[in-house]
Amino acid sequence: MLMLEHDAKEILAGKGVPVPLGVLAESTDAPLPDFPPPFVVKAQVPFGGRGKAGGIRSCGTRAALPALLGEMIGMALKGHPVQACRIEQAVAGAQEFYLSLSVHAPTASVAVLLSPEGGVEIEGEGSAALRSGRSRLGADAIAAEVARLAEDLPETVRSAVTAAGKALGGLFVELDALLLEINPLFVRPDGTWLAGDAKLILDDNALPRQPELAALLRARANAYADTAFKLAQGFDFVVLDPDGEIGLVTTGAGLSMKLIDELIGLGARPFNFCDIRTGQMRGDPARLILVLQAMAAAPHIRSILVNIFAGITDLAEFADLLVKALLAVPEIKVPVVVRLVGNGEGEAAAILAGSGLPLRLESDLDAAVALAVAESRKGARDAS
Amino acid sequence: MLRDVLGGRTPRVLVQGATGRAAQLHLRLMRRCGTEIVGGVSLTRKTPDVDGVPVFTGCAEAVLETRADTSVIMVPALSVLPAIAEAIDAGIRLVVSVTEGMPVQDAMRAWHIVRDAGADWIGPSTPGMAIPGRLKLGFLPDAALAPGPIGVMSKSGTLSYEVCRRLVRRGIGQSGWIGVGGDVVKGLRFADLVPTFHHHGGTRAVLVIGEIGGTEEEELAEALRIHRFDKPVFVVLAGSSAPEGVTMGHAGALIHGGRGTLASKQEALSAAGAKVFTRMEDAVEAIAEAIGGGGMASGQSSEETSRSVRPAGR
Repeated sequence: MLMLEHDAKEILAGKGVPVPLGVLAESTDAPLPDFPPPFVVKAQVPFGGRGKAGGIRSCGTRAALPALLGEMIGMALKGHPVQACRIEQAVAGAQEFYLSLSVHAPTASVAVLLSPEGGVEIEGEGSAALRSGRSRLGADAIAAEVARLAEDLPETVRSAVTAAGKALGGLFVELDALLLEINPLFVRPDGTWLAGDAKLILDDNALPRQPELAALLRARANAYADTAFKLAQGFDFVVLDPDGEIGLVTTGAGLSMKLIDELIGLGARPFNFCDIRTGQMRGDPARLILVLQAMAAAPHIRSILVNIFAGITDLAEFADLLVKALLAVPEIKVPVVVRLVGNGEGEAAAILAGSGLPLRLESDLDAAVALAVAESRKGARDAS
Repeated sequence: MLRDVLGGRTPRVLVQGATGRAAQLHLRLMRRCGTEIVGGVSLTRKTPDVDGVPVFTGCAEAVLETRADTSVIMVPALSVLPAIAEAIDAGIRLVVSVTEGMPVQDAMRAWHIVRDAGADWIGPSTPGMAIPGRLKLGFLPDAALAPGPIGVMSKSGTLSYEVCRRLVRRGIGQSGWIGVGGDVVKGLRFADLVPTFHHHGGTRAVLVIGEIGGTEEEELAEALRIHRFDKPVFVVLAGSSAPEGVTMGHAGALIHGGRGTLASKQEALSAAGAKVFTRMEDAVEAIAEAIGGGGMASGQSSEETSRSVRPAGR
């Protein structure tokens, strides 16, 4: 997952990377920094291009900070509400570079990009000044590639960029990173360097062997809700549209994503993405209960669509768990459309039909989708 | 090795992690599909055999005793890299690793180990591959499998199950089905399979199940052009509605900084002559129309065959 800049910098600083002094402000009355102005106030949002969108502001005095924070916290950047800002000491009189390390999937290597023209305008490709190379995965190999790309730069700058490459290359491997981009990478006239911004994407799959990073995620669960949920619960559940009308209880990432595409294509409003992983439920309805509770708490759910294509999972067992979960969440009063395919589908249908619950069974997915959409529209009419 | 297997070679298969709960089940199911499983590997060797198949404590011994050339790896995520290294070191030529959650940097290391040995790797995070009627390496569901003329390559398990099941119900089966998985770094990628299906006589058309994120579909488009691929290619893409920066289950299915978008993939694949669909049923209709009747290989039930000659519209 993409780390917010503040967390990325805390992680890097903890490993010895020089970063500008900074504090996180989650509200307008947050404690102000104890370092002197001028400041830069940076919205903490999980995407790039925030500078152009007005998410990075300068601030000359400590007294002006609360008002600026009041303006920025809660504002929407690209539709995403700003929950916190990093107040940072402004860096002056330094040259700006761009350095990026990322996974190049087709060759399973590390793509290294270096440009002597850092700053907001650079967005990777395009720029004529951009130097690019590839390296095998390994601290020394990455450092050597950065040094090679910096070879013809003036001596002071070259040694600073090379030092940055050595530090960041080592951390790329150590942190199980997928992307580590420093833009700008400040190089001062005395040859010291500083990570002006940090974009760090960590590998969720590696969290089991990165206990410090996993602990950080748990501590900051409010800022990384989707990943923290998966880490705690073992499956994916993402609310896409808080005002959505159709709740999805589905398994399989690709088919769940496609269902959302097709629902939106029909003009419907799916509430969530879900990959519940029936194979891991092992006789426990807890996951289903959790998902149904989230739907019960959502304001506009009008129907629920359950779609399970089971290669291996015994659908009779799943049907039994679904009935238990629905009984455990009686707040669910909307129509539930169920489509089950695979192992034991006949027995599953019998269990659902005999449950006494008002379930609508469908064997064809398009028909099930049409029914869930029709029910959601009927529900909308009844409510209006 | 994969190309030989599609061409008729019968692989001799090991299952690494064979004594695990799920692995024992899958070992039996794979055998039922005709797969020649010659051994299991388990470091703890909790049982001396699974379903009558001998269990060894290491790949080297297993290969020596059984002349295995293929391995299906069913070990926990953090153990997949050492398992692949051990298999390749023992001389295995084709590995299929089904486990979800392999760290990306482990996959990068495994990629080089496999590539340096000139072997093939399908995975990670895949239901595996199948040649219906002959072979199953992994756990593709029987409800979606039938022999036929379509070569399938897929990033998504469940989405490929759904589309292939709809095709099978119309009497159109598969010549070979390879799940490449939805991870960022993987063994065989879509583009790597182009020459394989190009040279495979049993494949009359190719179905690609792709999704947003990464560049694999764009690489595929390039490979179709380079190989002058002349069989029809049908593509279903998932994720047309995915917001930027939100991961939906598959680590690789992430739009980031305007890259990996559906539009980019649609454009590249269409330009390479592929037919791209966002609705599953539209793709199924188009394939049914192009392949028509006779999409199921001989040996199918008369019921299935009669379905294959139904008109395309429902």
